[in-house]
Amino acid sequence: MKRKGKKFNKKSPNSLTKLSLFQKSESRFGSKCPLSVKNAPIIDYKNISLLKKYLSENHKIISSKITSISSGKQKKLTREIKKAKVLGLI
Amino acid sequence: MSFYENTLITKQDLPKSEIENIKNKYSELINNNFGKVIKIEEWGLLNLARKIKRYNKGFYIHYKFEGNKKTLEEVTKKIKLDNSVIRHLVVKYKNLDTEKEYFNKG
Repeated sequence: MKRKGKKFNKKSPNSLTKLSLFQKSESRFGSKCPLSVKNAPIIDYKNISLLKKYLSENHKIISSKITSISSGKQKKLTREIKKAKVLGLI
Repeated sequence: MSFYENTLITKQDLPKSEIENIKNKYSELINNNFGKVIKIEEWGLLNLARKIKRYNKGFYIHYKFEGNKKTLEEVTKKIKLDNSVIRHLVVKYKNLDTEKEYFNKG
């Protein structure tokens, strides 16, 4: 017997069903990348105030699942953050 | 010819005249080796995020220049021998923007 998609129950949007803080809520799913808008800030290793937003407390890079940055920009971000770390700026 | 940015970090305990010397030395070195310095920025004494060679602070000098492979070789060769430079970073760019300064105080 093949299973049909109908059998699965849709998850209720209640916030209590979330397992952890990092799990995406369904309302946030459609949010767009903040760095690919028009007049977005330049990603550069000298622009420390921007880079610091995407670092955790232990200076680790936060994953794009949480920050909803597009994959192309995330690659660029990691490269620039690593350059800034070499220079001892972050 | 392509565009580059070069940042030097020098020791924190150098006198002002010594820093001027270093600054002039590398700009001349670039100009003499098929290159051209476009802009020099001084970021000043900044706190390092972690210790580099036992130092907590460093004096940052930033160059924007145009050059080719030979200039890069010459500059990196000289920097590696220099004892007063703790660390450096060279980045290649297609287009330089010379207007924006991220470390300008005031």
